[in-house]
Amino acid sequence: MGGLNASLAVALSGLTADQGALEATSNNVANANTPGYSREVPVLEASDPVVLTPLTFGSGVTLQSIQSIRDPILESQIQQETQTQGQLSALVSALSETQTNFTASTGDIGTEISNFFNSVNQLSTSPSDLSLRQGVLTAAGNLAGAFNVAANNLTAQRSSLDQSVEQDIGQINQLTSQIAQLNGQIANLTNVGETTGTFVDQRTQLVDQLSSLVDVSVIQSDNTLTLTTSSGTALVAGQQSFQLSSQLDSSGTQQVFAQGANITSTIVSGQLGGVLQARDQQIPAIQTQLDTLASNFAGAVNSVQAAGFDLNGSAGGNLFNPPPASGTGAAASLSVAITDPALIAASADGTSGSNGNAEALYALRSQGIINGQSPTDYYSNLVFNVGNASANANAEQSASGLVLQQLNDQRSSVSGVSLDEEAANVLRFQQAYAASAQVITTINTMMEDVINMKTS
Amino acid sequence: MRVNPNLLPDLLAALSGTQQQINTDLQEISSGQSINVPSDNPAAAAALVQNAGQTSEADQFLRSVGSVSGELQNGDSALSSVVTALQRAITLGTEGANGTLNDADRQAVAVEVQGIQTELINLANLSYQGSYVFAGTATQAAPYVADSTSPSGVSYIGNSSVNQVTLGDNFSVQSNLPGSQLFSSSGSDMFQAVQDLITSLQTGNDISSAVGEINNAYNFINQQRVFYGNAVNRLNSQQTFLNSQSTQLAQQQNTLGGADLLQVISNLVNAQVSRQATLEAVAQTQSTDLFNFIK
Repeated sequence: MGGLNASLAVALSGLTADQGALEATSNNVANANTPGYSREVPVLEASDPVVLTPLTFGSGVTLQSIQSIRDPILESQIQQETQTQGQLSALVSALSETQTNFTASTGDIGTEISNFFNSVNQLSTSPSDLSLRQGVLTAAGNLAGAFNVAANNLTAQRSSLDQSVEQDIGQINQLTSQIAQLNGQIANLTNVGETTGTFVDQRTQLVDQLSSLVDVSVIQSDNTLTLTTSSGTALVAGQQSFQLSSQLDSSGTQQVFAQGANITSTIVSGQLGGVLQARDQQIPAIQTQLDTLASNFAGAVNSVQAAGFDLNGSAGGNLFNPPPASGTGAAASLSVAITDPALIAASADGTSGSNGNAEALYALRSQGIINGQSPTDYYSNLVFNVGNASANANAEQSASGLVLQQLNDQRSSVSGVSLDEEAANVLRFQQAYAASAQVITTINTMMEDVINMKTS
Repeated sequence: MRVNPNLLPDLLAALSGTQQQINTDLQEISSGQSINVPSDNPAAAAALVQNAGQTSEADQFLRSVGSVSGELQNGDSALSSVVTALQRAITLGTEGANGTLNDADRQAVAVEVQGIQTELINLANLSYQGSYVFAGTATQAAPYVADSTSPSGVSYIGNSSVNQVTLGDNFSVQSNLPGSQLFSSSGSDMFQAVQDLITSLQTGNDISSAVGEINNAYNFINQQRVFYGNAVNRLNSQQTFLNSQSTQLAQQQNTLGGADLLQVISNLVNAQVSRQATLEAVAQTQSTDLFNFIK
């Protein structure tokens, strides 16, 4: 071949390719701050040469494709870490709310236990004094109140976590159906050979969001994503999403169902995992300890009461209403059974001035009446457990936060838009465009030369 | 290798980290406590619960020591009046034994001793905050009632029980002496002695031996007062011990949970400097890229 027309076509292919490349560059610049955006690189390729023996002529340049630069392995690591981060954030925020119930204050359970025994010790110095007896009743009431408040707060916290479960399920369902939709769009575009970069970015972004909510396993195959929970429950398959739903169980807590099966216990990470862990494990463990403390304490006090005599010389009755036999709910329902201060059984022998039974009551302060531990020892262990759970979750969250930050840095170093780079590309493609245009002008001149040759 | 072109998230994370540090430091400085929630230091928070329990217990023991001290001193001062009354009875008895007195004079002395008898009954029926101090544990009723059928002229309706009050770890104090032990002891019955003195003054017989009985009772009660002296001494030393225990517990509490202000302020200054530097870095780095230079 050869010839001016061919040269014109070659120069034109340069113009077109550079225009396309510039478009990709300007798209990068425009999306420099778009979350989840992966920078696009124009893939330029020399067009197939034309061979005219013995010569071979190049036939210009083709813009093969616009490729999004991303590292799938890095992205799957980010998704994994996002799940951990979601789980730990939910746990940290739940536990930090929980531990406010056990923070040292003038009315915390530990203080009220001390106050109760203090009032009993004071009564022991003057066992028939009605105002001191009233002091014991008041202290017992305050202690019961402190147990009630802590237990009710924990119950309220569990039910607000219950609402989070429902909200999380709603968000998960929305995300999975969006992902299924994008799967469809990407498949359609791929079938007609279009670029799918932006859609894939969107889908990756949605999977990241989903990861912060629930544990997701991603299976990538020919431009479509299959999502399951880590235990294998399908969430998205191709263009179909599978909705999660919630149902109340017999105890009134929301359970997570997928296609008819209860999968609550299999969800271990993501925000939903953290919420469930706090609601079903951490807080109930604390509730159980609180109930154990309340029921054993009330039981021990009542049996000492029964061994003594009140101010009227009658055998002592219950000071606290007997807690449920199982202990469950003891802290929430703890209450003082009597209003008459004369009914406190301070006397060991029925005489009004005897303090023998008040002394026995006081002795409970250092006796192992709560699973072998004294009430204060048991409570201090409870505080340790609560604080430790919260401190561990905090530490794990910051560690996981650092890992996630590191991974995001790495992702950004692969896929992030560098304005320096884009500026250089703008210059590069602009210059190439100008050069191609100059070639066309030159060919035009040459064409004119050829035409003018005849007329002159 | 391509570098991360977008440092902003890292810088923001650093800023939020220093802000967090500043908040924590400020909270520690304003509360004076390094442990504001259990997770700040779970082991120390648990130890603080123990410490608070022990501190509260020591404070209560101090209050109870005060109450028991009051009761004992009250009993002791009643006994001191009893001793004075008995001294007067001895003087009167000695006077009555003097052979120069005629019957009418002795009758007058006997009337005076009867007055002492009433006073002694009143003292033995001392009540403190609504309870009868010398009634054993049957504190609701006056323990001594006049009883003409009894040889001693009174009968004791209290009991012989005593109360022990716990006022420290493994430390307890007997807080009362019953009248049966003090005044109506079988070897030395004070009321019997007084009644005998009255009878002997009235009849003029055996006055000296009746005075001897009063002397016995006088000595016995003085011996019993040692109980009060000892108990008050024990309470005083327990008070000293409890005070020093409170001080120790307060020190321990400060070690466990008090903010180390020098350390915290130095942390705060570091965090502020680091925050300032990061802020300046953010302001600097974001201003330039290649686009600024393309004309």
